[in-house]
Amino acid sequence: MTDVIKFFTRRQGKKRASLTDWISYGFLFLGFLIIFLPVLWLVMNSIKSQFLLQKYDTNFLPMDYERVARATTYGPDGKDILIMKDLEPWVMFWKNLDDEERAEKDVVSYIKNFTGNEYYALRSHFGLVSVFAKDLIADQNLPEWLIKYPSMFPSAKKDYDPQSIVDSLNDEDARLLSEYLGLKPYKGNGFTAQILISMPDPETGELIEYSVSRINPTKDTVNARLVSDPKGGITKLPQNEIIINKNLKPSWINYTDPLTNKALGSFDAVRCLNNSVFVTIVATIITLLINSMAAFALSKYRFNGQIVFFVIILATLMVPASVLIVGIFKMVTMTGLSGSLWGVIIPGAATPTGVFMLRQYMLTIPDELLEAARMDAASEWTIYWRIIFPLALPAIAVLGILSIIWRWNDLILPMIAVSTTKAAYTIQLCLLDFNGEYLAREHYALAMTVVSLIPTTLVFVFLQKYITTGIASTGMK
Amino acid sequence: MANLKLIDIKKSYGKTEVIHGLDLEVLDGEFCVLVGPSGCGKSTLLRMIAGLEAITEGSILINDEKVNDVSAAKRGLAMVFQSYALYPHMTVRQNLAFGLENLKLDKDDIEQRINKAANQLRMEDYLKRRPGQLSGGQRQRVAIGRAIVREPSIYLFDEPLSNLDAELRVATRVELKALHARLGNTMIYVTHDQVEAMTMADKIVVMHDGIIEQTGSPLDLYNRPANLFVAGFIGSPKMNFLDSSSLPEDIKKLAPKGAKTFGIRPEHLKIQDQNSLPLDVKTVEQLGSDSYLYGATIDNQEISIKLNTQTSIKGGESIKVGFDKDNTHWFDEKGVSL
Repeated sequence: MTDVIKFFTRRQGKKRASLTDWISYGFLFLGFLIIFLPVLWLVMNSIKSQFLLQKYDTNFLPMDYERVARATTYGPDGKDILIMKDLEPWVMFWKNLDDEERAEKDVVSYIKNFTGNEYYALRSHFGLVSVFAKDLIADQNLPEWLIKYPSMFPSAKKDYDPQSIVDSLNDEDARLLSEYLGLKPYKGNGFTAQILISMPDPETGELIEYSVSRINPTKDTVNARLVSDPKGGITKLPQNEIIINKNLKPSWINYTDPLTNKALGSFDAVRCLNNSVFVTIVATIITLLINSMAAFALSKYRFNGQIVFFVIILATLMVPASVLIVGIFKMVTMTGLSGSLWGVIIPGAATPTGVFMLRQYMLTIPDELLEAARMDAASEWTIYWRIIFPLALPAIAVLGILSIIWRWNDLILPMIAVSTTKAAYTIQLCLLDFNGEYLAREHYALAMTVVSLIPTTLVFVFLQKYITTGIASTGMK
Repeated sequence: MANLKLIDIKKSYGKTEVIHGLDLEVLDGEFCVLVGPSGCGKSTLLRMIAGLEAITEGSILINDEKVNDVSAAKRGLAMVFQSYALYPHMTVRQNLAFGLENLKLDKDDIEQRINKAANQLRMEDYLKRRPGQLSGGQRQRVAIGRAIVREPSIYLFDEPLSNLDAELRVATRVELKALHARLGNTMIYVTHDQVEAMTMADKIVVMHDGIIEQTGSPLDLYNRPANLFVAGFIGSPKMNFLDSSSLPEDIKKLAPKGAKTFGIRPEHLKIQDQNSLPLDVKTVEQLGSDSYLYGATIDNQEISIKLNTQTSIKGGESIKVGFDKDNTHWFDEKGVSL
């Protein structure tokens, strides 16, 4: 710790900080911020709830709003607007769930906890109207055409008279069928999540709760609706007087759900991470073995075409990886590795950078050691494994670290090799997969992005000495 | 225990021939020193014997068996390298054990051999250290120990003392000689230092430009050098050579027929009038026990003298130096001894 303080308070000779010191530290701090802020932003956003992310919340901390649902129902009494508090998040975001996720919830028994307009609002929110209506039609032996009626053209609808059937039913069933058929005065019910705010009453000072759909910080007022009297219409509240009920509420489920496999849907973060770990470790081991053997041959043996081989290997450094995509794809497909993790591991196993780096290092190992080993009756394999490999360990460690970083962060090879097989997705592919679907799951995506940064960060923190050596000696990172 | 025979050995790198057909026989138990200036091919020859370098022509026989195509590992020789070539990542014990493990000896045997060698070379104290933690002399011992544990038929040494300081070099020289006496193995030793060659060898092979100039016992070479090169190479300071036509008449009379060059060793010159040459002394070196005088004689030819005493002669003086006629050497036009 004292070392750290000593390091950060170093000065240019004199006892008092000079202008140079201020400028240097200022510059370093600025550089630090430029690099670090985006990462910090990512981390902070990764613990924001899905709701906040969808509202493009710009707070630094995960300050969650208190949320309410605003529902609109239409009935015999006309339009009713109601505010429902204390609903569970999955109810609020039912529309964002996919079929599998919906199937896990027992909504039919859930809505039995509600009555009146709240019941009707939730019933249509969960899409249960058509389900119940079809049951009703079947139970009561009502005419079959009723089922098709909602999707008929208006001209066709004229041939039928649903109203008479509705009238023959009791009130509840009549309402259900009317909602299903879209008969007046029943219209589709509305249901949205809103933000709960409050403002002190100008006279009594008592806190009055309002519900707003969004808070735009650039405007002076917010359009709010009284929670106690939602039908009373919209009032404009001065932005500076309202109290936004925000709680610091990190959304840890962003992390725990995917990692405990509770994340709704097909996304399996644990499997993706396992795949990535497997690919990274196996590919790195293979890379180190193959590259060090190639480097051994190129640095310590004399054979015909040695220079040609070396030049060809170096020449592949000049070919951009993106040019090879089609070639690698064909290779992977034709060898039957497509969809298998080996299709990710094998094509990248030999890297020209690695061969070059190790060769240059091995050139510095004296030939006399090899000759001594030959005099000691060592086979060529023994020389490689017991002499060259241990002596080249510093360079091999550098390559190992680089390989871990490359493999962990690699997106192109997995896309080429396993994009058709979800079971073989690596973490980077999984993260990409979030954006491709209809469903917004940024909260999981952000959280898993942070998780995917951990291994490379650890590698950087603990092995940065080797990494700087590696960058210095190869110019690559 | 083994003898070694080289028959018409040649070595070329591409079109450049560096060894031009050598014949050599090293007898069982002999300490043979290959000596010559750098670039004469002595190290290449040793590496060919070891099997580290392929031979272009000729044959190598160990115990009368041709080993041209036998790999270094299977020739059963051991080599001590100039740089010692100890495995830096292994402890001394592992360094010694490496060769034995490759030969698939059993553990007890390895242990026993290492302990024996460690005992012989007094290196028990640092068996667990790595080469990087050892002094030059200790590394030297380990390198020799690594050869000893192999119990090879022939030991090969490639300038093993050149990295040691003068004092240690003398001590190790003596030790090596003692080791040879104790083990009785055939040893082939390469050096450019003629003092090492003279002190250690049973047989000296003087090489120059890829050929053998002369083979013989140390005193043979000193007393009866076969040619100008050997005469100049063996002995320190080197032999004085004078053009025989420039010599005074009384010395000319001693010359055999066809003599072109007259040679006399510095230590055989004395300050005397008989058989004498004039000398203008330029520099005097006093070593306490000996003195060296450097100067010029007839026709400004350089000459040096070694005296076994201290001297009062100073630079700039002119003196007369003479010799015993038994100590003279004469060479013909081609440089061959007469």
